[in-house]
Formats: sequence, C-alpha cells, structure tokens
Amino acid sequence: MDSFLKIFSLLKGIDRRYIFLLIGVAVIIPLIFPLGLPLGVTQPAQDLYNKVESLKEGSVVLLTFDYYPSTLPETEPMSYAALRQLFKKNIKVVTVTTIPLGALSVMESVVKNVAREYHKEYGVDYVNLGYKYGYQAVMLGMGRKISDIFPTDAYGSKLETLPLMQGVKNYKEVDFIFIVSDNATVDYWVSLVNAQFGTPMGAGVTAVMAPKCYSYLQTGQLVGLLGGMKGAAEYEKLTSNPGRATRGMDSQSIIHFAIIFFVVLGNLGYFATRKKEVSK
Amino acid sequence: MSWEFFGTTLAAFFTLSLYSFLYKDNPFYKLAEHIFAGMSAGYYVGLIWHTVIKQQLWMPLFNDKQYLLIIPGVLGLLMFTRFFSKVSWLSRFSLAFVVGNTAGISLIRQLHGLILPQTRSTFLNVATFSGLVMVLGVISTLIYFYFSKEHKGALGAAAKLGIWFIMISFGASFGYTVMARVSLLIGRAQFLLTNWLHIIK
Repeated sequence: MDSFLKIFSLLKGIDRRYIFLLIGVAVIIPLIFPLGLPLGVTQPAQDLYNKVESLKEGSVVLLTFDYYPSTLPETEPMSYAALRQLFKKNIKVVTVTTIPLGALSVMESVVKNVAREYHKEYGVDYVNLGYKYGYQAVMLGMGRKISDIFPTDAYGSKLETLPLMQGVKNYKEVDFIFIVSDNATVDYWVSLVNAQFGTPMGAGVTAVMAPKCYSYLQTGQLVGLLGGMKGAAEYEKLTSNPGRATRGMDSQSIIHFAIIFFVVLGNLGYFATRKKEVSK
Repeated sequence: MSWEFFGTTLAAFFTLSLYSFLYKDNPFYKLAEHIFAGMSAGYYVGLIWHTVIKQQLWMPLFNDKQYLLIIPGVLGLLMFTRFFSKVSWLSRFSLAFVVGNTAGISLIRQLHGLILPQTRSTFLNVATFSGLVMVLGVISTLIYFYFSKEHKGALGAAAKLGIWFIMISFGASFGYTVMARVSLLIGRAQFLLTNWLHIIK
C-alpha cells in the first residue's frame, strides 16, 4: 500500500508539461500512422442524412455557414460533406452566413471547391447570399422576402437576375435548412425560423453546443444533429466522403483513452492520499 | 518562395507561437496574441463600415432614396452623445429602442420557440421509460431551484435527485467540451502536418 502511495505522491508532483507533451504525441502519431479505428453512426446523424436523401431533385436547401475559423476542424468537414450530398442529389443550394469574422471567405472557398467537383453552375444550381449584419433581423426578414434582406448576392448581382432566386422568394420556397454553426445562431434558427415559419431543419454543431441541441431533437424542431468532429466524421462516412474529420478520429479516440486514464489515476491518487491524511 | 507557402508558414509560426505558452509565457506568445487582438479589432471596424454603414445605411439612403433609414441613422448617431456628458441623456432614446426591440423579439422567441415546444414534448412521452426519466429529471431539477421552502423530507429527496440530474448533465457537457478542445488541437496538428510540412496527405 505504501509503495502505491509513493507512486501517487510522485505523480502528484509531476510537471504538467509532460502531460501536454504526451497529449501532443497522442495527436500526432495517429495522424501520421492511421489506426483505422471503427466509427459508428449515431441515430441523429443518420436521421439528418435520411432527411436530405428524402428531398427530391431540384429541391431548395438553405445551407448556413455560421461559424468562425477557430472551429473549422469540427464545422468545415460538415459543410463539405453536406454540400457534396446536396450537389450529388442535384439539389439547389442557397448559402448564407450570419457570422462576420472569416465565415464569408470559408463559405466561398468550400462552395467553389465542391461546385467545381460536381460541375455546378453559379446562379442556376447554387447562390451565395453572403453575410449580413444582425442575425435576428436577417432570419426574420428572410421569412418575409429574401431580397429585402439581401438585395444582391455576395458578389453584387441583383437577386432577381439569378435564375435560382427567381423561384425562391422566402422560406416557403425553401424545403430544408441545413445549419452548420458554432454558436447561438442555431438557437435562433430553431426558435425564430422553425417556430414561426415551420421550415424543417437539421444542424451540425460543435461538440460544446451538442448537449444543448439534443433538446431540439427531442421536440422535433431539428430532424437530425451532428455533434463536433465525431458528428462530422459520421456524416463523411454516410456520404462516402472520408475527409479530415474521419482522419482526426483516431487521434480523438486515443486522447479520450488517455484522458480517461488520467482522470481515473487522478481520482485514485486523490482518494488514496486523502485516506492517509485523514488517518494521520 | 510562393506567396501561398509564405502565408502557410506565417500561420504555422503563429500556431506554434501560441502553443509555446504551454511551456511558459514568452515573447512569441505575446506577439501572436497582440497581433490577433489588433487584427480582429481592425477587421471588425472595416466590416462594420462596409456591411452596416455603407451597405445598410449610406447606399440605400442616397442611392435608393429610402428616407425612412434616417430614423435608425439618427438613433445610431445619438449613441455617440455618450461621449459628451451634457447631452449624453440623448443616447437613452437609442438604448430604449434597442432594449424594447430585443425584449419584444426575445419574449416571443422564448415562449413560442422554446418554452412551449420543450414543455409539450417533455410531457408527451411520459409513457415510455426514457420519457419518464426525463419528466423526473425536469421536475426534480426544478425542485432543486425552488428556494422558498427548506429542502427537507420529500422536497429534500427530490432536490437531491435533481442534483444528480444536474451533475449528469454537467458531465455530458464537460465530455463534449473536452472533445471540442481536442478537435481544435487535432485541426491545428493536421494543418501543420498537411498544409505546412506535407508529411501527410
């Protein structure tokens, strides 16, 4: 027992930078030498995929890019996977962002890359509305008339000159909203747009936000949910487009094991040393 | 050296500078932190100028003759009276508009979009096991936050059950938060190994 206590005392005094180093190594090694650990698909991700699959060719989907560049590892793979699924099914896509910092350039790059892959024509198959300040007013205003809020697209063309937007005046002509978000805008999409206009929607959110968003699943306000990098990897798997999220999941699993190990070890050490202190 | 490589190397430099804080505070970390703060502030100023002042006020007002926009324009200008103590009271008109507007939208949003759907769906599935657990969780958690009576007897037991539900919820949130932070680290490692060093494809 004393030898155990000695080990725990030693561990308590260890420089935490060794743990940082260990975590760093645990991230890098599986990225260089992938382990290919199995990846299951959760029901909320499957439901979101099924909903998009159920949309008919030519349907209109509003895809949001409501995220900052700081959360790209979690959110960008979701946008790529969603857009590939939508374009593959020949669904018309309208993209928009309510986030000012960097989202516009990320949106442009993602949409252009995937549109090129699937030979989609701008204005006919997809339109980029860009960014507009004041997301509550933007979301509500788009329910009345999209061109009131976005008189032009992200590149300055009048909306009425774009063939796709001639048939999309407000949410009535939008069949589904696919939200990719790293902040509270998802709450506003649900509680303003879904509640007032009834447009069905699903969301891909960062892991931090996922627990809160489960309550929207339970109410049926969201038809499906992707949570964090795991959710992104699931959607990549469902859409048969393994990308960065899938490649990151080995590291994610290894680190989770390491953290569980440290939590158990820390608690054992805490209780063992506390018992000794109490007995003293 | 191409501009793309230069940009990627600069991004890698700032990534490593920020992570160097894990070893200890140092000038590289401070440099990266200050540049980030300064750039964000500058970016926001430019963004607000272009997307709000120019796009939503100046151009519609003078090009499209939407004279109704004079009202929000004046309300916006009144906010700046806060810098002059004698007329700072004028800014209250703008603030009153913002507060009233936000309260109006939020009231409907919270009630119609959150409270009613959440309450309805919580009690709809009470016949199922998970539905029953959820109802128990909601009621016991609400009891925990009921402070008008001492938590003793049945009320105390229910409040204790509420604490358990709250703790489980905190655990789930913490687990997801760990996953989120690890994801960001993985993202940066992928950037360094893929885009910068080209070690992995």
